[in-house]
Formats: sequence, structure tokens, C-alpha cells
Amino acid sequence: MEAEDDLNCRQASRLLSLACERPLAADELRALKMHLDECLMCTNFEQQLKFLHKAASAFRTGD
Amino acid sequence: MRPAGLPFRRASVVSLEAMAQAPTTDPRFTEIETHRAYLVRYALSQLRDPGLAEEAVQEALLAALEGIGRFDGRSTLRTWLTSILRFKVIDIQRRRTAERSNVDIDEERLADEHESWLDEMFDETGHWRSPPQAWNDPEAALEQRRFWQAFEKCLGGLPATAGRVFFKREVLGEDTPVICKDEGITSSNCWVILHRARIALRNCLERNWFGQEAAHGS
Repeated sequence: MEAEDDLNCRQASRLLSLACERPLAADELRALKMHLDECLMCTNFEQQLKFLHKAASAFRTGD
Repeated sequence: MRPAGLPFRRASVVSLEAMAQAPTTDPRFTEIETHRAYLVRYALSQLRDPGLAEEAVQEALLAALEGIGRFDGRSTLRTWLTSILRFKVIDIQRRRTAERSNVDIDEERLADEHESWLDEMFDETGHWRSPPQAWNDPEAALEQRRFWQAFEKCLGGLPATAGRVFFKREVLGEDTPVICKDEGITSSNCWVILHRARIALRNCLERNWFGQEAAHGS
């Protein structure tokens, strides 16, 4: 999908969130990686999604 | 699941007498009670209704008292209690969803609302209006009591559906298809709601914690 190769932050962040729900398709992954290579803001967002996941799990166990 | 249309059952408050019928020699009974506040908070963040939260906790504590013999000490008592409560909470949510399915919920309107909230986060070219900053040592925050207060406040500040779905997904660790089914919404709407919840939560944490590192110290 040629058009997918040029994601904006809105689309990239959506894919990052979607990746928490289902495996991304190859073209989605490729487009996302291209975007993340160039975009520090979305890279920050990606890290923060991982952190939210970790924090939420820790919130459950509460130990 | 209960057939839709039956009136929602509210469990009567468990009496102390009922609790006292369980053998009281086990010292863990007293310890169970010390986790009550946590359990109520947990149920409340999920059910968002003090009455239902109390009901879930009562049912969980009663089940715990009855089943204390099965607690093998491999997890902490709190983890064990939470896993019991989790099932009570899910059970109550199912009953409530069954009830709600009688009411016409405008799912499309709900999804549109979340979609337009997301619109606000980005400009017309799809760039972040307020770009995510790098957070300084987020792992360290997990060790701080006040971080968890901020986290809980941010969770509680999410719109009802977003908060509930996020909690099921990320805190309870349920599978997305199960959540969507229980909520009676399509996967794509479920994804939009989760995406919104994640962005809103990170915004809130940045506002209340990571953005003002100096203000709260350690």
C-alpha cells in the first residue's frame, strides 16, 4: 500500500495503540517503523504506551 | 449470563453473623480485612458505582472466607483476594450489560464522540497539538506512593466507558474481543475507545506527574 508509507502522527499513534490489541499487518508495521525512525514524539508515545501497560499491571497486583 | 430483562439483583449486605459462621480461628481472617480498602478502591475504579463496588467486595470477601483453605500462599493474600474480586466484578458487569442491552445505546454516537476527541489532539495535518515529551525515569515513579495516587486519579478522570474498557484491558488484562462483546460494541469502536483512554491517560500523567518532576520530589 503506497499511501500507507507516509503516515502522520495521528495515524502512527493509532497503529501504536492498535498494536496492543492485535498483531499489525506487514504493511502497517513497515509504515509505522518508517514513521518512528523520523518522529521522536511518536517514539515517546510508544514508550509511554509500554509504561502505561506496565503501570496498569502493577496497579492490579498492588504489591 | 442472566437473561436480559430480569431485574438487576442487588445482593443484601452480608451480615456479620454470616461471616461469623465461618471458622474464626484462622489469623488470616483479620488480615483479609486489612485489604478491604484496597479492594473497594479496585472495585470502584471498575464499576464506578459505590453500591455495586461494595456488593462486589462483600461477595468476594465471603467467598474468600469460605475458601481460605484453598489459599496456598504462593501468591500474596492481596493478589489472591483480587483475583476473587475480579470474577465478582466481571459477573456484576455482565449482569449490568444484560440489563443495558434493553436500553437503546447509541453506539455510533459514542464512537463519534471519542473520534472527535481524538481529532482535537491533532492538527489538520495530523500532527500532535501537544507533542508527547520524553518522561524522565518513569520506572522510578512506580516505586512512589504519590505516583499511584496520581495514576488512580487519572484513571478515575477518564470518561466512564473509556475508563471501564481501559481498566478491563490493561489492569485486569482481559482479551479485547471479550471486552468488546461484554460491552456490546464492535471491535473498531472498542479500539477507538482504548486509544482515546491511552492518550488521555498519558496526557493526564504528564500534567500531574512527569511534567512537573521538580514539584513533587521523591
